Amino acid sequence: MRSSDCIIIGAGANSLVAAAVLARAGRKVLVLERLDRVGGTHASAELHPGYRFDTAMTSLGWLPPLLSRQLRLSRHGLNVHWAGMPLLALERDGHSLPLWRDERRTVRSLRMLSVRDAERWPAFCARAARLAGFLRSAYMLPAPQVPNPGLGDAWTLVQLGLKARGLGRMEMLELLRVLPLSVSEWLDEWFESDLLKGALGAGGVQNINLGPQAAGTALGLLHHHVGAALGDIRPVGFVRGGMARLGEALAAAAQAAGATIELNSAVASVLVRSGQAAGVVLANGSEIKAATVVSGLDPKQTLLELVGGDWLEPGFVRRVNNIRGEGIAARVHLALDGLPVFPDVPSGGMDALGRISISPSLEYVERAHDCAKYGRVSNAPVLEAVIPSLSDASLAPAGCHVMSVAVQYTPWHLRAGAWNAERSTALRDNVVALLDAHIPGLRARIQAAVVHTPADFEREFGAPRGNLYHADLTLDQILFMRPIAGWAQYRTPVRGLYMCGPANHPGAGITGVAGYHAARAVLHTKP
Amino acid sequence: MAKRYDAIIVGGGHNGLVAAAYLARAGREVLVLEQRHLVGGATVTEELYPGFKYSVFSYVVSLLRPEIMRDLSLARHGLEILPLESTFTPLPGGDYLLRGPDHAQTHREIYRHSPRDADVYDEYGRLMAQMAMAVRPILGMVPPDPAAPGWRDLQSLAQLGSHVRALGGERFHALAKLMTMSAADFLDEWFECEPLKATMSASGIIGTFLGPRSPGSAYVLLHHYMGEIDGAFRAWGFARGGTGAISSAIASAARSFGAEIRTNAAVQQVITKNGRAMGVVLADGEEIYARVVASSLDPKRTFLKLCAPADLPTEFREAIERFKIRGSSGKVNLSLAALPNFTSLPGMGMHLRGSISISPSMDYLEQAFDDAKYGEFSRHPYMDVLIPSLIDPGMAPPGQHVMSCFVQYAPYNLKGGWTDAQRTAFGDTVVNTLCEYAPNLRENILHRQVLSPADIESVTGLTEGNIFQGELALNQLFFLRPVPGWAQYRTPVRALYQCGSGTHPGGGICGAPGRLAAMEMLRDGL
Repeated sequence: MRSSDCIIIGAGANSLVAAAVLARAGRKVLVLERLDRVGGTHASAELHPGYRFDTAMTSLGWLPPLLSRQLRLSRHGLNVHWAGMPLLALERDGHSLPLWRDERRTVRSLRMLSVRDAERWPAFCARAARLAGFLRSAYMLPAPQVPNPGLGDAWTLVQLGLKARGLGRMEMLELLRVLPLSVSEWLDEWFESDLLKGALGAGGVQNINLGPQAAGTALGLLHHHVGAALGDIRPVGFVRGGMARLGEALAAAAQAAGATIELNSAVASVLVRSGQAAGVVLANGSEIKAATVVSGLDPKQTLLELVGGDWLEPGFVRRVNNIRGEGIAARVHLALDGLPVFPDVPSGGMDALGRISISPSLEYVERAHDCAKYGRVSNAPVLEAVIPSLSDASLAPAGCHVMSVAVQYTPWHLRAGAWNAERSTALRDNVVALLDAHIPGLRARIQAAVVHTPADFEREFGAPRGNLYHADLTLDQILFMRPIAGWAQYRTPVRGLYMCGPANHPGAGITGVAGYHAARAVLHTKP
Repeated sequence: MAKRYDAIIVGGGHNGLVAAAYLARAGREVLVLEQRHLVGGATVTEELYPGFKYSVFSYVVSLLRPEIMRDLSLARHGLEILPLESTFTPLPGGDYLLRGPDHAQTHREIYRHSPRDADVYDEYGRLMAQMAMAVRPILGMVPPDPAAPGWRDLQSLAQLGSHVRALGGERFHALAKLMTMSAADFLDEWFECEPLKATMSASGIIGTFLGPRSPGSAYVLLHHYMGEIDGAFRAWGFARGGTGAISSAIASAARSFGAEIRTNAAVQQVITKNGRAMGVVLADGEEIYARVVASSLDPKRTFLKLCAPADLPTEFREAIERFKIRGSSGKVNLSLAALPNFTSLPGMGMHLRGSISISPSMDYLEQAFDDAKYGEFSRHPYMDVLIPSLIDPGMAPPGQHVMSCFVQYAPYNLKGGWTDAQRTAFGDTVVNTLCEYAPNLRENILHRQVLSPADIESVTGLTEGNIFQGELALNQLFFLRPVPGWAQYRTPVRALYQCGSGTHPGGGICGAPGRLAAMEMLRDGL
């Protein structure tokens, strides 16, 4: 029978980081991937001949320098282009608001909209940078065990405490005040322009089933802001050659460190012997032994399907079942035979273009969410689109472009009935009409349109309940409560079984860090 | 020279009176100044029509701290609290959900709706009681300042830490979730029966500008579970003689300790000298001096109306301006010629003696909130209805009744403002909604008093008519209430204190802010 030190289930970004870190520490690592490719939701596909789309994750928010350095990702072929204009907010009347990485340019464009907002922008950026900076340090530490910390946890808490004290008294209180705030309240404190607040506020609810008036969505905004330099806002990074290159680079790093990756190997179950993980059984029936199993799948799949509820206490099973995170976003991918004219974009803007936002006010976002509360697709959804071919011509035929639109809110569970072709088509038509109203002439450029609903994400990526992010980033599911209160250390009730997916601290959008912490948890546990 | 008091308490609401009573009990010379002709603030009983007594604003009690009842001997001063034992939720289809004091009967009733829910109902109650126990010591403590802890803060932080450790992982985690989740999500983890979930979650949204699906509303659920009446946990109660009887008892206790209470005495400004409060100026120009001044008004009125801008640091003023006080509820008081007759459960019975809750489903409540979010009052509002005259017959003439309807949502910032026409439309909506369940109500209404949040504000002075003097949101609780850095009842103006519900632990007829503030004043050497 085959055996390994560590088996890693799934070859998504977190799994590959975990594999690389464990292999570098001298463990014999075997990664088992169900599909015929690595990368998980960091995927690219030619949805229309000649057009290569990032099908699920369409941009990076942060790639921790520690990881790219340790894993030598650039040597393994990773090249990330950070957009100079992370956000272009569009209005129906043809007006647009570009936000730049360069604070001074943003101030200039804001002046057209509101002198007061322009004046406040630098102070807002400074405040956001300090708060996000604290989150960044918190994210690079594993979540401590509360309320009964062990020695290592106590040290983490002390480090966090010192970091917080380093902010200064008022800044620390400000952090405690802002994190549980709603993104609406926070932005209302700073700005008056609806367009600015709407575009920023959409970041607070990205992939979360909440509206911008919900407590904790200010944290959502800061979460996607952790990678930002001063003056920047919610960074947008495009991977050269397509998002799949990220997974390939991570896989190359893991293999260089000695890990083995097997594609087309679906894991059917985790073997448990007297409360201890003993290996896995593949879908084809063969067993592979290992004392350590790390799962990149979501906790429900890992614990309830691969392990099985019988090994677990009923109370624990209930808590796993209660993890919230229903898919709430869809994608519409458009193959364009040319670039439509974006009204009102300053020169050089198109080359720097990051995210195009159709989210004209906070009320617009809130109303979009109202539909989702009652299990309906938003009539007027929040759209965030990227055109990565603007900076990477290899993605589409000459002069042509790929445009990927994130659509929110599109609940996985619709009260009117399951997702089907008719509902997908209706969604596509609604999105195209909305885009065309903001970008005149877009419709005429569309060669092909492909819709991915949450139901498609579930089918194609194994995304649990259609959620690419596995679990909502809400106040009750962060830090020591992610994925489950008391089980934030990447461990599970089954000894030797670990979890490393985005349902774990620090969560999705923080590329690879959950995998990094999970690997360290494995290494720090005495066998 | 006129007499100089030890302390002036601005506002004769229940917290102001509690603070005064504690200071007077410690031998200080105290003067309470109340703008209205009667004390109580939002805790008043008024006979608006001959024979019909209304608990005009606040109408039930559960949170009043037992140590205050004891320390001030409120029972001796005439306070008697009668239990409210049932909750009746009539449903649109002609069914209902009735929970009462008889455990077996309640179990059978829930079983009728959902066997699964009946199974976990007791376990849920136990957990909530444990959670409430876990939080109760925190209600009785002065919030420590975690950012710049002094010796006392460290002590209370350590106390808090050991309290949390003693809770153990499981209960601590349940508490952490409860603090951060929405009432809907929290209840969904337990129950499936819509009227049960909706009626329970309703207590999580009372008085706040949150919907049952808004994160943070689960905590308020607990806030209403923390009541204690004669040792019986989480029971709601009604004061004999209306809620005004509570403030009368506290006022009587304060007077018995020597406190002086003046009504029709509106404070216009706090007099300061070199950054120190010296006394107050009344609306008629009279100046009264004291060693300390404590305001039981909400933070916005205290700092933005009574204090001169120059007396406050800019950052503090901005923080107070940001403090969220959002009026979200209205009140309709009715005089009735006869009892309402509910189609789903006709006739007289236990269901009329307790709370009648118009909360048929979660979607109903959430939709009521949706209206308010965009500046309308709910077209189908949530209501907590009481018929006090059934509990205390003295509230109405023989054979007739008073009915108190707490109505949500009624946003203070109504589109177009609260005009007379809007107020009437609001009152009609309330009556129409009730008539869907009890059609005979309309013809039996003798008098109708409709209070919009704007009316509540103009009568009581509460900013936006908010009954909690500030949203009980996560970012406004404990050491963040009312604003970060000033949660210990002191203010940037020396000798000026805050003692209202805008401070920890917040609103409801609880009295803890008044008591804790008085103790801080004494600690500071008053």
